[in-house]
Amino acid sequence: MNKFSYIGKSVKRKDALLKVEGLSKYADDYVFEDMLYAAAVRSPKPRIKILNISDAKAKKISGYVTLVTHKDIGGVKQWPIVINDYPFLCADETKFEGETIALVVAKTLRAARKAAKLVEIKYKELPFLTDPLKSLEKKSLKIYGSDNIFSKFIIKKGNAKDAMKKADIAVKDEFSTNYQVHGYLETQCAIAVPEPGGLMTVHSSTQCPFYVHDAVAAVLGIGYNKVKIVQAVTGGGFGGKEDVPALVASHAAVCAVKTNRPVKLVYDRKEDFMSMSKRHPSWSSVSYGAKKDGKITSCIIKYVLDGGAYSTLSPIVLWRGAVHAAGPYKIDNILIEAYAVATNKAPSGAFRGFGQPQISFAQESLIDDLSEKLSIDPIDLRLKNIIGPGAKTATGQKIEASCGLKEALLAVRKNSDWNKKIKAKKFSGEKARGIGISAVYYGVGLGAKGKFLDRAGAYVNIFRDASVGINVGNTEMGQGALTVLSQIAAETLNAPYENIRVQEVDTSKVSDSGPTVASRTTLMSGNAIIEAAKPLRNRIFTMAKSMLLKKGAESSAIMNAYQGVFSMGGKKVSFKEVIAECWARRLKMGEQGWHIAPNTTFNDKDGQGDIYSVYSYNANIAEIEIDKETGVIKPIKMSCAYDVGKIVNPVLAEGQAEGGILQGMSWALYENLVYKNGKMLNPNFTDYVLANTNDKPEYDIIFIEKLYERGPYKAKGMGEVPLIGMAGAIANAVKNACGIRVKKIPILPEDVWLGLKNKRKAK
Amino acid sequence: MFPDLIVKPLSLKELSKTLLSLPSDRKYLAGGTDLVVRANADIENSRYWIDISGLEELRYIKETAKSVLIGSQVKASELEDSRIIKKHLPTLLSALPHFASPSLRNMATLGGNCANASPSADLACALVSEEAYIALYLKGKKRKMLLKDFFLGLRKTALRKDELIWGFEIPKISHKGAYMKLALRSSFAISKIGIALSVRINQNKVEYLSIALVSVAPKIITAPKTCDFLKNKILSPEILDKAASIIQKEVNPITDIRSDGDYRRSMAGVLLKKAFKEVLK
Repeated sequence: MNKFSYIGKSVKRKDALLKVEGLSKYADDYVFEDMLYAAAVRSPKPRIKILNISDAKAKKISGYVTLVTHKDIGGVKQWPIVINDYPFLCADETKFEGETIALVVAKTLRAARKAAKLVEIKYKELPFLTDPLKSLEKKSLKIYGSDNIFSKFIIKKGNAKDAMKKADIAVKDEFSTNYQVHGYLETQCAIAVPEPGGLMTVHSSTQCPFYVHDAVAAVLGIGYNKVKIVQAVTGGGFGGKEDVPALVASHAAVCAVKTNRPVKLVYDRKEDFMSMSKRHPSWSSVSYGAKKDGKITSCIIKYVLDGGAYSTLSPIVLWRGAVHAAGPYKIDNILIEAYAVATNKAPSGAFRGFGQPQISFAQESLIDDLSEKLSIDPIDLRLKNIIGPGAKTATGQKIEASCGLKEALLAVRKNSDWNKKIKAKKFSGEKARGIGISAVYYGVGLGAKGKFLDRAGAYVNIFRDASVGINVGNTEMGQGALTVLSQIAAETLNAPYENIRVQEVDTSKVSDSGPTVASRTTLMSGNAIIEAAKPLRNRIFTMAKSMLLKKGAESSAIMNAYQGVFSMGGKKVSFKEVIAECWARRLKMGEQGWHIAPNTTFNDKDGQGDIYSVYSYNANIAEIEIDKETGVIKPIKMSCAYDVGKIVNPVLAEGQAEGGILQGMSWALYENLVYKNGKMLNPNFTDYVLANTNDKPEYDIIFIEKLYERGPYKAKGMGEVPLIGMAGAIANAVKNACGIRVKKIPILPEDVWLGLKNKRKAK
Repeated sequence: MFPDLIVKPLSLKELSKTLLSLPSDRKYLAGGTDLVVRANADIENSRYWIDISGLEELRYIKETAKSVLIGSQVKASELEDSRIIKKHLPTLLSALPHFASPSLRNMATLGGNCANASPSADLACALVSEEAYIALYLKGKKRKMLLKDFFLGLRKTALRKDELIWGFEIPKISHKGAYMKLALRSSFAISKIGIALSVRINQNKVEYLSIALVSVAPKIITAPKTCDFLKNKILSPEILDKAASIIQKEVNPITDIRSDGDYRRSMAGVLLKKAFKEVLK
């Protein structure tokens, strides 16, 4: 198949028109007959012992229906996730400000929220922790287990300490990063609709309907076959619609069971900020040792993530961060210790990059400091040390042929005019220009720690009119899954693209396909669709050939299949005609597909193993301008090259890149969530700002297509890759511009200003 | 919490009837770009809102021989398009692009920006620098005061119960203007610090000068010592450096979630110099 019908082409997004016209139905757009509304009663302090809950005053609100507490839970009390420490509704102790204690159900949203404020909680304040490094101290108060550690990993190769001592040059520093809030379009929302016979259907704003399925079945204590989760159109997830929608949906479901009415639970933005997941704040100590010629010989890292009050996804976020922590380099001696730690703040969770961006910022900053000490150009130093086909990663995994990191570095070096700019004079008047680089590798999919979830299903059903309905288990959340998966189906079946309809996920239509995370949807659901479509394709192509022969085509000719038309020896037959004939002959026109990721391994003792089935690669060059008087950083141009395998849809891939660059840049330069004494001070978009279009740099996006044999049409995964390296590249550009190494994220004007002030003083 | 009822009178006559019929837990609603946000954040809890955006009497941009007159219900975007503003109020004009976003400028009013009395109100700051007067209206009676004196403190104004802002009167003074602002991002963000400079320079000599600042005190402030120092001076880098050090002593910024007190103080001087650079362009 040399000439693709749809793969590699920027076909129109399936959901574009509906979204532009405002017709897409998001969760909060759904209304059911007799529907009630729930509102959460939340913990007023970081940690309290609940003495009493009273709805005496709340009851007086017109429209008040009932109060739902942990006592109303019919199933299990703990939310089943990785470690089951998070109670669906707390019984006696809350662990962070904003944690749900109870829910008020009322006839209107307004009444529910008003009444929720009037529910009186009698409590005793308990001592609490807010600093993860304090939590790690031996004598510290214990809020989780015996050591406040949710999870811990060690990656060990060679003898890092010894090699560090023997290194010609060694660099070491500490870095920290702050939260990042997902900023999805719509806040968390679920509507639970009870049906006769103890059935429950939940409409949820989610990127992981099967996690919601697990949680709702558990909290209600009923069989999976009585629960159906239907994904509503979801306006961006970025990880924020990964685990936590399950909690929201479970609350709605308990309310629905108690009232036997449909119940909608929708958060306002403030409570969404205060209680939902975020990117983990981090602290790290990183050191690299190298020979004079630039060969990196040792890497020692201690990496700490602030997990917040409950473990949620911290263990697996930490794992991804830890295994990638040394960076995309061949290093023989490695020691990485990583900890996810409890504090009394909102539980941190999944966010695009999943534990990688924090440590990538730290290690890529330090690689630049190493290059400075060695007097080697930062790109040359990276080129000397990066992994390539056949090389081994920190976990001892041998890199396969699909690796374009070197090409990516060379491409951005050329496109950005690096060689000239890196040495250019920095200051002209009040402004200084700087340029910085980062290199990234990214294990696609869930990897060894999530391998039991790394499978996906698909059902491909060709109707008599030749239209095609497809059910998959991975979701559209703005990234373009409906479109890319349609392209893959159309290509495989030789169906016209317009004939394909991939539906939003319904857990009753397809087997548990794991979460829509880890840049795995194109890869996993794409392969599942191909598996389902293969037998259909055989039937269709065989039928097409026999029809063409009947029309008088020469039997020795080769049949071409292109964009819904089969042709051979001057004769043609359409997909529609072929399907009509298949149906006339009662052929099976619906098939299931099931794809499982190749086996991966991870040894808990030394952190060695073939941990991912394949990696994507990326190099970023950031150009920025600093106002040396105000410290304000203006992003000028981002040159970014990606090897994510075959690009299925170039426009969507560019969109993913631009979005990831901007989101990474936004985290690096603007987003600053402030906690003080366990209280979140800016839970709103007035004071927690994200980059907007005025902050947008010029984008220079390059794709290096190193084909991946086991990928659908040789694609790998892309979604998270563009964000990961942005902070490192920007921090390096800041250093290059003004000589200030800012070791924290976000890099605020105040930090640069202070750095410059101190530098002047020192002179 | 959002109100139980929003009433929208379409004339002053209807307004006086509305006031008589509503309980006293009430507030005026203009563009809603502050009030709705505050209600959403549960900081605003009044039960009744009186929407005054329909009062055509309060929606004018006019000029007399000596003054520019602007009604309180004029939208920020209408100011951007006004020939009169472009001609006479360069400082206000310079502040407009720094104020919120294009869509919010279509809603927000000049009156609302003043009534909200935020210490970071960009347009109010520009108007103070333009030496504007504010006209207030209650039960058929109007009173007038310098806008500078209208602000009493953090979210405190001279407004009496049910009094509303009728409009603004700004003297026509020949000058140039600049508005410089630092915020959490390059646009559509609340000031960490902002400075409004209205100045007339003749042969490098400062003939007329008025300065106002946001986000460096509980309310919008002026910089009389800096102005006194610069008036009638011949501008030079040394003089501007001196002025910058004076203004740094005139401001009284705090450290909060948006920025750092020392940074803000230092930036008062930096932005003053940048503002002069801008008008001298």
